[in-house]
Amino acid sequence: MIRVGIPRALVYYQYYPMWKAFFEYLGAEVVVSEPTNKEVVASGSSRTVAETCLPTKVFCGHVLSLAEKCDYMFIPAIRSLQKDSYNCAKFLGLPDLVRAVVPESPPILDIDIDIPGGKRELYLNIYRLGRHFTPNPFKVRKAVKVALDAHQAYLNLMSTKKLMAPQAIEEIEGRANGRRENHGDLKVALIGHPYVIYDDYINHRLISRLESMRVSVLTPEMIPKEDLERYVIKLVGRHYWTYEDEVTGAGGYYIEHGIDGIIGVMPFGCGPDSLMMEVVKRYAKQAGNTPFMLLSIDEHTAEAGIITRLEAFVDMIRRGKRSEKG
Amino acid sequence: MRVATPHMGNISIALNTAFRELGIGNIVPPPNTRRTLSLGVRYSPETVCLPFKVTLGNFIEALELGADTLVMPAGRGLCRFGYYAKLQEEILRELGYKFRMATVDLFGGKIFSVIRLFKDLSNASYLKVISVVRFGLAKLAAMDEVERVVHQVRAVEIKKGTASKLFKEALTAISEAEDYSSLKRIKANYLEKLREVPANHEANPIKVGVIGEFYVLLEPFVNMDIEVELGKLGVEVKRSIFVSEWTKFSLFLNFFGITEKEKLHKAAEPWLRRDVGGDGWETVGHKVLDADHCDGLIHLTPFTCMPETIAQNILPSIKNDVPLLTIVCDEQMGKAGMLTRLEAFVDLLKRRKARKEKYQKFQQGF
Repeated sequence: MIRVGIPRALVYYQYYPMWKAFFEYLGAEVVVSEPTNKEVVASGSSRTVAETCLPTKVFCGHVLSLAEKCDYMFIPAIRSLQKDSYNCAKFLGLPDLVRAVVPESPPILDIDIDIPGGKRELYLNIYRLGRHFTPNPFKVRKAVKVALDAHQAYLNLMSTKKLMAPQAIEEIEGRANGRRENHGDLKVALIGHPYVIYDDYINHRLISRLESMRVSVLTPEMIPKEDLERYVIKLVGRHYWTYEDEVTGAGGYYIEHGIDGIIGVMPFGCGPDSLMMEVVKRYAKQAGNTPFMLLSIDEHTAEAGIITRLEAFVDMIRRGKRSEKG
Repeated sequence: MRVATPHMGNISIALNTAFRELGIGNIVPPPNTRRTLSLGVRYSPETVCLPFKVTLGNFIEALELGADTLVMPAGRGLCRFGYYAKLQEEILRELGYKFRMATVDLFGGKIFSVIRLFKDLSNASYLKVISVVRFGLAKLAAMDEVERVVHQVRAVEIKKGTASKLFKEALTAISEAEDYSSLKRIKANYLEKLREVPANHEANPIKVGVIGEFYVLLEPFVNMDIEVELGKLGVEVKRSIFVSEWTKFSLFLNFFGITEKEKLHKAAEPWLRRDVGGDGWETVGHKVLDADHCDGLIHLTPFTCMPETIAQNILPSIKNDVPLLTIVCDEQMGKAGMLTRLEAFVDLLKRRKARKEKYQKFQQGF
């Protein structure tokens, strides 16, 4: 059986169930890298130049850790999902970048995803990808359908049950150990890209830390898609980045829906975030003075520093609420 | 109306002349200084790229002088650049300035967007606007032509700084030219003067290609006059981007489909198959193509520039025989540090070239 490697980084959190359904329908075995650990970060950072953003470094580390374990590496180049909006350069050049910095990687299955580029081009690209596994175009077509159904089920699971991406993936794979109940007296929204919010190693277990401070954590995936889009338009006029929803859209939505505080999680060197977080920060101040904290994380971020800032932020919100009551 | 536009190499000179000719009141922001940069840095998001910070500083200084309309390119360039105008406007409004932001969508509207901008700002007829734009482009072409010669002369001139001084004069003279014939005369005049600069014509200077991101290549303040400094070290600079060429394929519709850019993309293809926005793809192409006629390459990039970071990661995997030095420009950059790196790099190139020549002589000896 052909083994396809999927690095547990970047858009893994958004599309993994879809990809897995696609490849498994075509008769391949899907191999996912282990959750990020020290070695992944270290090996990834040693391959790339220093200015590269943290998620890209982590991605290269994951590719390295998978190199021996699979026959193909699946790395899509997601160009654009919507007319007139484009993705960050790191996503556009991801397959080429990996090819350059991780030469020991097995052959890379790269596929250009460019939705505004037209259906024909997209289907041709998908067929080209499927041809590695089957010569039968109808089978590829059926695989696409299965994959899309799996994706829709995944999205529904997150927005109806208010699950976070890793929990939803666990549930789909039947490994869920029950939904963690969340009894917090504060509601804090985390905004940022899934590959930062859900990667427990690079953000130093941010979510569980907050939960242990009796905070219930909300993430962008819990908002229906239409609302996200509405708020992007409200804040910046139109979509500029492909993954603008999860920062400006989610930020705008939560600010107007009675949240106690917002934490923006930004990896160091992230281009789009450096602007989008600024937009959210300004909006939080203008509309209702919602507390906003920007956590910038990189491979050196010391755990103690993050804990101190989180505690201070949560204390500040609590005190604010108390004085309001009094 | 008092229009202001940020400094961007020779482009802002041409733009300001065009404003004057169309009778649009304009304010030239003070030249880029440490103050411009620190103003920009103070009010910008921390990790945004350098051009954002410097142009924001320009706007603040222009508004202090009483500007009421700001001109900024926008649109989709596949990188943060298109987002600049929107956020800068918000930041400036929060600082309490009152102004109008006029954006130019260079990527969608091409040359028409420039014409529309001038038309919006002035009362002139389309005919007048078009003729001014055309003349402006001719001026840019003249400036570039002089600059190319300046690059050559700087490397060999005996009294360092002569060519740079002449170039400064030439820029002023060209921007003040009234019509095509005087423009032609001025150009010819300065080319002649440059040719007469006392120089060591025997010297065979090493050639260094300067490649990378548009803004840091063209704005001497942010790259710390790298071209002048290389000239002082006796290096002939071959810059990859000249505004007049850039406008040719960026502003005009390309009827034949064959451009310099496509050649670069084709060369880059084995290493980078897709457009990554900004100038990333072209940078990779230059590394492949310039190896033949340059002794070394210097790659300039603003700190955290997304397309150039991709290029920077890919460049070392192109194994051709040309040394490469990457210089990352940001507000923390010190001139002394850069000079040391340049000197070391140029030393290396000189020794390399001497060794090569010696080897060739040795071979011929047999």
